[in-house]
Amino acid sequence: MRMWLLLVVVCALAVGAAVTDEKLKSSQSDSGSWLMYGKNYSAWRYSELAQINTSNVSRLTPRWIYQTGAGQLQTTPLVFDGVMYATGSANRAFALDLLTGRPLWRYSKPVPEGVQGCCGTVNRGFAAQGERLFKMNAEATLVALDAKTGGVLWETKVDDYKKGFSATGAPLVVGNKVIVGIAGAEFGVRGFVDAYDVTTGERLWRFHTVAGPEDPVGRKTWGGDSWKQGGGSTWVTGSYDPELNLTYWGTGNPGPDMDGDVRPGDNLYTCSMVALDVETGKLKWHYQFTPHDVHDWDATEDPVLVDMKKNGVTVKALLHANRNGFFYALDRTNGKVLSAQPYTKVSWAKGIGPDGRPILVPGQDPTEKGNESCPGLGGGHNWQPTAYSPQTGLYYFGSTDGCELFYKHKQEYVEGLRYQNSTTEAVPNKRNEGSVLAVDPTTGATKWRLPLISSPSAGMLATGGGLVFTGDSQGYVMAVDARSGKLLWKFQAGGRVSGAAITYTFRGKQLLTLTAGEAIFTFGLPE
Amino acid sequence: MKLVTSVLVFGAGLAFAQGEPQNPYKNDPGAVEVGRGVFRISCSPCHGIHAEGGRGPNLTLGSYAAGDRDVDLFNVIMNGVPYSEMRGYAGMGPENVWRIVSYLRVAAKSVATEKLPGNTASGEKLFWEKGACGQCHRVGNRGGRLGPDLTRSGRSRTPQYLRESVISPDADLTPGYDTITVVTPEGKKIVGAQRGYDNFSAQLMDSQDNYHSFLKSEVTSIQREEKSLMPGGYGKMFSKSELDDLVAYLSSLGVAR
Repeated sequence: MRMWLLLVVVCALAVGAAVTDEKLKSSQSDSGSWLMYGKNYSAWRYSELAQINTSNVSRLTPRWIYQTGAGQLQTTPLVFDGVMYATGSANRAFALDLLTGRPLWRYSKPVPEGVQGCCGTVNRGFAAQGERLFKMNAEATLVALDAKTGGVLWETKVDDYKKGFSATGAPLVVGNKVIVGIAGAEFGVRGFVDAYDVTTGERLWRFHTVAGPEDPVGRKTWGGDSWKQGGGSTWVTGSYDPELNLTYWGTGNPGPDMDGDVRPGDNLYTCSMVALDVETGKLKWHYQFTPHDVHDWDATEDPVLVDMKKNGVTVKALLHANRNGFFYALDRTNGKVLSAQPYTKVSWAKGIGPDGRPILVPGQDPTEKGNESCPGLGGGHNWQPTAYSPQTGLYYFGSTDGCELFYKHKQEYVEGLRYQNSTTEAVPNKRNEGSVLAVDPTTGATKWRLPLISSPSAGMLATGGGLVFTGDSQGYVMAVDARSGKLLWKFQAGGRVSGAAITYTFRGKQLLTLTAGEAIFTFGLPE
Repeated sequence: MKLVTSVLVFGAGLAFAQGEPQNPYKNDPGAVEVGRGVFRISCSPCHGIHAEGGRGPNLTLGSYAAGDRDVDLFNVIMNGVPYSEMRGYAGMGPENVWRIVSYLRVAAKSVATEKLPGNTASGEKLFWEKGACGQCHRVGNRGGRLGPDLTRSGRSRTPQYLRESVISPDADLTPGYDTITVVTPEGKKIVGAQRGYDNFSAQLMDSQDNYHSFLKSEVTSIQREEKSLMPGGYGKMFSKSELDDLVAYLSSLGVAR
């Protein structure tokens, strides 16, 4: 009998060990795991788990803390089969035992001298398939690791870090493809979205987010040869609609950031949402949020896929809180704007017109002497992950609320060097603040706002327990009521809370994991 | 960068070698221009567009807290200063850090060595006596603790900035010196200079140098104002020549003589 039980256990483990395509497609219903960056292909970051809920969240206590020693953490950990997989800065990664938080293996690779990146060698996490894990390394390579050992299966050069390319985002696995984005728009790179074969690391397609000669229509939106340094990086993970077989990626700012004079035109497909055919990488549609951007308002914020009722009809929507201060709902079959409403103070546009273009306010561009514009360079909302709760029907994200002075400078392009031609400063005696927002995606109206002294530094997690989890740069982890925005629990974790919380079950109990400072914290209810 | 690497390797290989890493872009005009651009993006928010200081020290004086050699500047930009607002910028790559160093050398040269009109000794007397600045400010091991420590004010601020701070204390508040006013449930009002402030609490020092800490949920109100506790009126209290003397004194503090 014992032997029989053992066999059953072994079989169960063997079946559970591989992250299959089916598991990825049904990841929303697998509340025991966290299988991809955005929880599901729609990037909801919502878990049905409700053991931790509005009535008991105040009793949450730490189960274990793992000090990674891996610099600033922006990772969304993955969890499956009793193991957590997470990445750190500077090409570090680790597998942790869920029971104790102790490391099972660690991976590190020295970052080559000369790797730049605007904002450190941060990394936002793994993607998984089978027994493989995929991550970007800072020097713009894609590496596949054996989930059981951390050993390298293959490593592919995505592009040349000496030209200013770098990488920080978590990949997205669809079928036999690892789809990845790139960073480097502050260094005059030409951005793209790539797909690689999961088993060999061979590149299958590339979509250039800056239209060149192969795309005559888009090419016309770039004066002269400016497309060659056009930016448009793709540093936050996209989403995927299996029915339409499209993958959605937000694109970054045009280069150079604030001197638009050297790149006349709309600068397609920067500051846009692009819908790509997963098989070919061909562009199905695009929507440009900020034509000819001069404020560094990347459109890389999460593309969240929700089927929602609008005027009594179900529409396939894509939700997106843009850095430019507007919340958008797009029709994800064709890129048409369903609604666009400001969620914070906006000075540069009166609204979004019926043609989908912003109605510009004159005099908002950066100048040599500095010009005030709202929101500031970082937005509005930035890269921090967002959450959509089907329980409340609300969309949750953080925002910086205020303005900045934008400066424009002239600068010659030199390959591999920073090509930003700009800076910003705080507006004297006007302190920016922040908030956590809940927006009704059907109207774009803000349902509630939790005011904070600055933008939450962490992303959002929504749960079936009626909760939204986030955190701030002073080290507070917070749980708020998803319906009202009322603060229900806080914990001082001693370091900037980044990335976003995940939740899953272990031994039948719901746990919550997030990062603060250089540490990974796991919380649970008292036994 | 190869040059730097080889110098480092050379230095490590020969224990008796006295060489230190050298700036590969020393006197390179192209590097100065790139350094200027990088500086404007990464450094100017604290050190000012022209490196003349603001929230961070003035970097055009040619004399630096971290040391005055190129390698000292390189190390402090790469690694930052622990427990200060100056974080490390290794992420921008050593080449760019060397280019910033090259730019700073030019920026420092371009600022004329200013001969200040005031008398330092007279300014010191005014500081401690007529102005009673020492009630709240510390110089060395003397003075109060409520306001910013001025032991190194000559290194960290330009004379113009110091003059403005004396006349208009609110013009550019030193971060972390906001005024916090707390009203307790008993109706007691406590005013002090911010030592900590977050979404849920505030820590402050009162005029008697006592620390207080409050949870927002436990008091009637906590107000934070972006204004200084320093009284106004020094522009009227001091004559023009006295102000010159005071600025000369403050500008001398922390500067090698």
